[in-house]
Amino acid sequence: MNDVSFHSFRAQAAQAIANAHLQSAIDGATLKFRTERKRVLADLPDVEAMRDHFKAMRAATLAHLDEYLEEFERNARAAGAQVHWARDAAEAQQIVIGIARQHGATLAVKSKSMTTEEIELNAALVKAGITPVETDLGEWIVQLAAESPAHIVVPALHKTRQQVAELFSREVGRPLSADDIPTLTNEARRALREKFLAAQIGISGANLGVAETGSIVLVTNEGNGRMVSSVPPVHVAVMGIEKICPTWDDAAVWLELLARSSTGQPLSVYTTALTGPAREGDPDGPRELHIVLYDGGRSRLLGTSYEEVLQCIRCGACLNHCPVYQEAGGHAYGHAYSGPIGAVLVPLLVGLEQYEALPHASSLCGACLEVCPARIDLPRMLLDLRAEEVARGIIPPPEQLIEKSAAWLLGHRRLFNALTDLGRVFQRPLVSKNGLRVPRRFNPAQDRQLPSLAPRSFHDLWQELAAEEAAAPVPARRRRPSRRTILTVAGVSLLPLALLWRLLRRKGGKR
Amino acid sequence: MMTDARQEILGAVRGRVRRGEGIPAPWRSRQHFEDLAARFSQTLTALHGEVIRADSSEDALNRLGNVLTNLGATRVVANDEPPLSGVDLAARWPEITWHVVGRTEGDLRAFCAGADVGVTGAVAALAETGSIVVNSGPGHSRMVSLLPPVHIALVPVSCLTSDLLTWAAARSGAWPANVTVISGPSKTADIEQTTAIGMHGPKRVIAILYGE
Repeated sequence: MNDVSFHSFRAQAAQAIANAHLQSAIDGATLKFRTERKRVLADLPDVEAMRDHFKAMRAATLAHLDEYLEEFERNARAAGAQVHWARDAAEAQQIVIGIARQHGATLAVKSKSMTTEEIELNAALVKAGITPVETDLGEWIVQLAAESPAHIVVPALHKTRQQVAELFSREVGRPLSADDIPTLTNEARRALREKFLAAQIGISGANLGVAETGSIVLVTNEGNGRMVSSVPPVHVAVMGIEKICPTWDDAAVWLELLARSSTGQPLSVYTTALTGPAREGDPDGPRELHIVLYDGGRSRLLGTSYEEVLQCIRCGACLNHCPVYQEAGGHAYGHAYSGPIGAVLVPLLVGLEQYEALPHASSLCGACLEVCPARIDLPRMLLDLRAEEVARGIIPPPEQLIEKSAAWLLGHRRLFNALTDLGRVFQRPLVSKNGLRVPRRFNPAQDRQLPSLAPRSFHDLWQELAAEEAAAPVPARRRRPSRRTILTVAGVSLLPLALLWRLLRRKGGKR
Repeated sequence: MMTDARQEILGAVRGRVRRGEGIPAPWRSRQHFEDLAARFSQTLTALHGEVIRADSSEDALNRLGNVLTNLGATRVVANDEPPLSGVDLAARWPEITWHVVGRTEGDLRAFCAGADVGVTGAVAALAETGSIVVNSGPGHSRMVSLLPPVHIALVPVSCLTSDLLTWAAARSGAWPANVTVISGPSKTADIEQTTAIGMHGPKRVIAILYGE
């Protein structure tokens, strides 16, 4: 996937902001999800305690992940499934391609799966001469348009009905009207039904795995998860190693929270538990079930301060509540995982160097933490990643220069004082009633102001205070400003510098 | 190479995990519905499903016949499970071409793909979410409730339970290869967030809820 620099994130986000259709589509979808989520969560008695329980269960599972993975594998094998392990994307691709080749497959039907997006399976299948067909309507639209998902739950969020009608017309070979969405859906049903019946292999992800029975669970509204796991003779499921829970009691809590947090449904239309391939005497179902347990950088996060991110169940609630995602859209993140979870997960799984901008794609408002069913502290991890960027020098050279100069200047008090004294003189023409006027070049809407330098510096005030104290000793406890006062004053004096820095960065992004 | 990957991943996991507290005691449902059947009906109806109440299994079969007649169904596939098993469907509804799973000869998949209606029983029904639970197994096809445009489920009142949590906690015995929880007809909102019913699965889900 693409590298996401500060520049490219801003450029993509600017495009998204200028796209009126996209903005209203994101607003509409995320508002609906937010409203419905709140409504259906309120139906669950003691939902907050239930979320606490869920978080504790996820954390405890990760603390014993090796044991649960082995238990899962043992039980899945006992049920007749074949379990494979993949360290990285290439290995996972090769396993799936190997299974497809073994069955002479040329056509693969896929249900919606973020993990197979993550490993870029489709491109690998095409290269191997196997045609993958995405069968989730949104994923199919995105595939026909040769694009990537704009939202982890609603992949074709960015497409208008006219664009969809065009893509479908090309696919079915006759013109379709954009006026009637049920007809478009019906055309897709017909076209994809043919693919389901013709495919030699079905590929899916897995929403979760249950260790005690070796089952995997697929959740869909359209039924694509059921189709790929019922109709073709072979089914391959790719699942991240962190998506395990110990028992069916735990799975039930997971499922009670998943759809509610995601689309605001109490349950999605279809929740399917698959325990091995078709049994003897079953009238239908796949002869083979393959489960690919995929690591892809996940095990590396265990035992680190980022382990918590592995509790994620990919509901997308954090996207729907993120002010940055709502403006920037999914594509700015440059990866299948977007929004707050993408901003943390992608740099961790792929690399901070390639995705330097993502930890900054947040206002740190904390909404993602508030709505996460597992209460994953994404804001903390965003800050940790930013700190890591500074420590490892992964920030643009101009910013590094500003930071270094500021550090140097703050270390030379006399020079700093002299410069601020000079500043007090030169700011005069720019000072208005409310502060510094910012030149139009940096402030086209004339809606921003910087505080002016105070008439007297904190340093001066402090020295004066100290002198007074020495001259007329009163009880020191009463005279000395509290630590909070000192910090507040210090903070306020540094504010103009910080604001100036932000302003310069903002300006830099528009270029 | 495969074994290497397995050992390497498990080794990495084992080397890095911080053993903490054990799994907390299971969360038990705190839902309470006065009338499970009423809640089930209300919820499934709100999900674009349909619910028909019947007094007995015989009444349920009569109502099934009415629905099939009203639909003008000519090809119907049915799972071989109560209350259908033991009923001579072809004799009872001779105007319909029946395929009974495991009993009728011929290509089940092709029949399902061309059928007007699929009829199943249910092993459980969840009041909270208006869900019908179906199992795979001998006489129990996965495709009957999936491929035809209409799915009719004959649901005994006795299989109603409060919700997924109570169902999972009470369930005993081995898991069949495929257990599916169905909550209404197949749907999508992938084109301009407009809900459209009947994407891949049935466009209509009709539950005939019968008591004894």
